[in-house]
Amino acid sequence: MKNRLKVLRAERDWSQADLAERLEVSRQSVNAIETGKFDPSLPLAFKLARLFGMRIEEIFEDSESAS
Amino acid sequence: MNCAIKSPAQRRFVRASLISATLVVVLAVGAAVTFRLWHLKGLPAYPVAVLPALPILWVLFETGRFLAVEKDEFQRNLLVQCMLGGIGGTLATTTAWGYLEAFAHVPRLQAVWVYPIFWLFVVIAWPVVYRRYK
Repeated sequence: MKNRLKVLRAERDWSQADLAERLEVSRQSVNAIETGKFDPSLPLAFKLARLFGMRIEEIFEDSESAS
Repeated sequence: MNCAIKSPAQRRFVRASLISATLVVVLAVGAAVTFRLWHLKGLPAYPVAVLPALPILWVLFETGRFLAVEKDEFQRNLLVQCMLGGIGGTLATTTAWGYLEAFAHVPRLQAVWVYPIFWLFVVIAWPVVYRRYK
């Protein structure tokens, strides 16, 4: 699933490790989500949305609706 | 590949797995020595014979605990995939060996090897799974 995590993270000048610490997950997890190799669960997606002050669909792109 | 163990749950799981593997070997040697020296038979033989398998139950319990306690869902996902690799590899190997025993008369594979075979495939699966997310 495509997402804007890398951009949002860069806007805040956060490293992957910074974001991982805020989410209480490993840096590997952030990297896997960011590169679209791992789709987060709904609770983690909500956590991300809260952290960035956005809605989930503003961070993650529904590939089916995009095609 | 970043294999660093980060969370307390991961540390606990790895520690339990290593201690358990050591205990299996120690208890297996202990049981073999006990049977050789005292020639146990009947009822007393059963608990001593089963003793080396008990740490396996502990690891199964710790695996369940890890999956329940670990907050990082990605790390949980990695372990599940590695264990699926272990289960798949074990099923394929032991089934193939069973047919080899039946039709090609290869030596019998003792059931005590199933657990080490499982962990062998988990270890093989580990870098493969990690590479997918690199």
